[in-house]
Amino acid sequence: MFIEIIEVIISGLLNGSVYALMAIGLALVYGVTKAFNFAYGSFYTMGGYFAWTLLVSLGIKGGYYTVFLTAIPFLFVVGYFLEKILISPLRKRSDWQMKAMMLTLGLSLFLDIGYISVFGPRLKSLPDIVEGTLTIGPFVFMNQDVVIFILSITGLLFFAWVLNNTRVGMAVQAVAQNPIGAQIVGIPKDRVFAATFAISTIMVGIGGILLSQKNFVNPQASTGIMIKAWVITAFGGMGSIKGSLYAALIIGMLEAFVGYYLGMIHIEIAVLTLLLITLAFRPQGLMGRE
Amino acid sequence: MKKIGLMLMVIVTCMVLGSWAIAADTVKVGCAFSLTGDYAGSGDNYFKGVEMAVDELNAAGGLLGRQLEIVMFDNQDFAPEVVMQGADYLMAQKKVAVVVAGWAGAGADVRAYGKYDVPFFIDDGSQASVDVFKEDPGKYYNTYFMTDVAADQGGSVFNALQKLPYDYPNKKVVLINTDDAWGEEIGEVMAKRFKEIGWEVALHEIVPYGTNEWGPILTKIRRIKPAVIHFEIAASQEPITFVRQFLKKPTHTIISLGWSITPLEVVGTLGKKADGVLGQMPAGVPTPVAPTAEAQAWLDKYEKRYKHSLGVGSFITYTSFMAWAEAVKVAGDPYDFKAVNKHLKEVPYKGLMGNISWGENNTLHAQPGAPIVHYQVQNGELVTLFADPPLTPYKDSKFIKPRWIK
Amino acid sequence: MNAKSMVTILAVTYGFLGILPLFLGDSSIYMRILTMILIWSVVASCWDLIMGYAGIFSFGQVAFYVIGAYSSAILSVSLNVTPIVSIFMAGTITAIIGVIIGLPCLKLAGPYIALVTFAFQLALEPFLKGPLGKAIGSGGSRGIISVPPIHIFGMDFSSSELVPYFYLTLVLTLICSAVIVVILKSHWGTAFLALKDSEDFAASLGVSAFKYKLLVFAVTSFITGLFGALYVHYVGILSTRMLSMEVFTVLLIMIVVGGIGQYPGVVLGAVVTVTMNELLRPMGIYRLLIMGGMVVVIVLLLPDGVTGLIRKFSVFRMTKKRTEQLKHRNETHESSP
Repeated sequence: MFIEIIEVIISGLLNGSVYALMAIGLALVYGVTKAFNFAYGSFYTMGGYFAWTLLVSLGIKGGYYTVFLTAIPFLFVVGYFLEKILISPLRKRSDWQMKAMMLTLGLSLFLDIGYISVFGPRLKSLPDIVEGTLTIGPFVFMNQDVVIFILSITGLLFFAWVLNNTRVGMAVQAVAQNPIGAQIVGIPKDRVFAATFAISTIMVGIGGILLSQKNFVNPQASTGIMIKAWVITAFGGMGSIKGSLYAALIIGMLEAFVGYYLGMIHIEIAVLTLLLITLAFRPQGLMGRE
Repeated sequence: MKKIGLMLMVIVTCMVLGSWAIAADTVKVGCAFSLTGDYAGSGDNYFKGVEMAVDELNAAGGLLGRQLEIVMFDNQDFAPEVVMQGADYLMAQKKVAVVVAGWAGAGADVRAYGKYDVPFFIDDGSQASVDVFKEDPGKYYNTYFMTDVAADQGGSVFNALQKLPYDYPNKKVVLINTDDAWGEEIGEVMAKRFKEIGWEVALHEIVPYGTNEWGPILTKIRRIKPAVIHFEIAASQEPITFVRQFLKKPTHTIISLGWSITPLEVVGTLGKKADGVLGQMPAGVPTPVAPTAEAQAWLDKYEKRYKHSLGVGSFITYTSFMAWAEAVKVAGDPYDFKAVNKHLKEVPYKGLMGNISWGENNTLHAQPGAPIVHYQVQNGELVTLFADPPLTPYKDSKFIKPRWIK
Repeated sequence: MNAKSMVTILAVTYGFLGILPLFLGDSSIYMRILTMILIWSVVASCWDLIMGYAGIFSFGQVAFYVIGAYSSAILSVSLNVTPIVSIFMAGTITAIIGVIIGLPCLKLAGPYIALVTFAFQLALEPFLKGPLGKAIGSGGSRGIISVPPIHIFGMDFSSSELVPYFYLTLVLTLICSAVIVVILKSHWGTAFLALKDSEDFAASLGVSAFKYKLLVFAVTSFITGLFGALYVHYVGILSTRMLSMEVFTVLLIMIVVGGIGQYPGVVLGAVVTVTMNELLRPMGIYRLLIMGGMVVVIVLLLPDGVTGLIRKFSVFRMTKKRTEQLKHRNETHESSP
């Protein structure tokens, strides 16, 4: 029994680490730019298709090293210019937040259907990053899960490092805390917005590559990912990065335990109930600011 | 300049005349499949069967000397108003002579298309559709169900599991199915049948679509150590992730995937890792060696053309379409619906694997001409154990004890 | 937009739709399209009222529509309530649920309301399929396969009698549109404008945002539920498939095309969107690609949708003064952070 509980906890941790990687980008964008990006899930799928195109369709050398090295600049450019071309012009209007939501909803439909029309409706499978299993005492891990866990944590640490130690990161933080003040001290707000959007695209796109190689590249996956990330960021406090991190771990654990004790069918209801109760008492989420 | 203008005129005239000429002579064939949304993969397979039949007939000079022309309708996610729209679009506006549909809307389809006399072939596999049909069999006489309902397919799987030349180490079964009508009907019938013979349903887990992390269920399975797991999710991603994660630390259990073995990705992705796993395809063609030379030739042609193994639904849309074409030839006119329907119902059609005929509730029940095929994955390929009926070992096939069972 | 031009546009649009059955009555395809235009135009109008005027980012519109449909289906199938009564009861039930959802929601910030209302839609499917849903008669994952038609004056109104059904829907559409116009032109409408411009300022004048928002939530939920009920007696069959993203997306496109907060632009949006959806159908998968792309382009280039376009070409002759007023308002918007 004890071992079973440990297994469930491990399962929750694995879920949580992946959720964290996926949700933090969304939290960052909302925290800094106040725009809600509904096309977020579509960039997850974009990451998967990018890897598939390189590895399977073109058969490039270097495997996943090349994929990651090229994916980061690719996703950065995509995110940066999407913000510049699509979101930035909306900011002039008073109801721009609603307009941005609608635009990104349309964009996500366009991208998702675009994937189907380019790549077909069927799932695409990526080669495994690693194969085999790892046995520690009574526990058996898939090496894939181990790699995903390590890379997720590394990704989060790298992200924290960028935020705290680079000029871009500090500018992002400054804009998030005080947009007007940041502008006064000469931080180019518009470029920071675009850069934030780009960073979040990288985070979710890399998450997409990692998970797609374990599961699949699936043109229908975007909505599910979007909703999950949305629930996690709202639970943690929209715009709070630390809050999202905790929320991801809590929800990962909750899913594993509800799945174990009550059955998988109750997971969705349990997560939504937790969210509603939290919002009823703390409308700003776990760690959000009023 | 003049020359170009003249040429353009000629081209335009040719196009207008040409399209008119074709339009006047063709027999229109309606296809109502899901082209977008979650079910687009199934629509693709159903379509391939129709496409092969139409091309074959057209190459042989058409039907009663007239070429066949396919008219597509996107059924999307089968919202009732879309299904109704499709019926009117195909049958009233486009005046098609036949409609072939796959999954088409669990009941709404029967009502919408049943208003007309045009033969309508569907593969809902759903009790709800049959219930609508039973409300007024006289009115819905033009509806043809191409496969058994879920409960009958589940019963066949149960029977096949009992017929395996294998001694189960215990009498515990774990059932996993989705929360849609298909999954629940199968889950219920399996639970009932297993209990009847004194087995214990140690776990009956209902999961939503999109589940890819099986940790909590597998933890329980490892404690239960069941003799059989039956897993029924009509999608591809879920069965693959389940098998992969199960194999991480397997128990001595027979894995039966039911219909979920049929999406092409499942065996395509798992390959030899799936060796030992069981599954079924309704109205399938037994592989690797088909029962007849005709069926084998058809299968070879299919695989050569589409570059993948047989997709679920292709064979039955092909066969049903050919049965319709045969009825039209006898009736002498594709638009003499009364005669076409009468022939379809009364005279068995000689298919590639033997006669097929629509029986009770206008359903093409499992029969040797269109059997429920039970497979085991062997060496990364689907190998037929039974082609039900009959539930006797198929040709010289042999059940192989999965490698994880010691 | 003033009340007069609102009523004019509505009268012209619905009047035009209303005479079309005289020419198209024989074609079941066109009649179905016309009927769906009416239903969607009202459901989308309600959404516009909530989002565009009351400024509530509610994503629960499809859920309310489905609740209305299920309520009326269950009442008429399980309890034998005659459908003409059950559709109004369904509207009432939906309004009550709308208020229950609205109470906690209206205190939340924009994206949170969107999430909570959307979560409500997500939770509805497992609820209806699960044991609780089955207990109230939802039919579980199979749904309800035989919903009776509406029966009044010795006549059946269902999908087999398309022209009468269309006119029944038209009558209810006109009534509901009138209600929406009255709301927009009453002091509620003024309060919404005030709240939209500055919630704090309006509050200081004693305009209670909460009360008005809750009221509008109740009214729109009622109308949406009523039309959901109307729809279910029309198609005669019901399952949780109605909760698909496609319905959500198409409704959203109507609002974008018509212009957010530009009533009755959304009605024109419904006409354009449903017609386009049908015209693009032969294109298969590219239909949705075009629709998605269209949303992006329209939001960027035509922020007020078709209404903005019409205004640009000044079909409705506005006095110079009004144009300037409008300009002035936009400018104050632009300068506000």
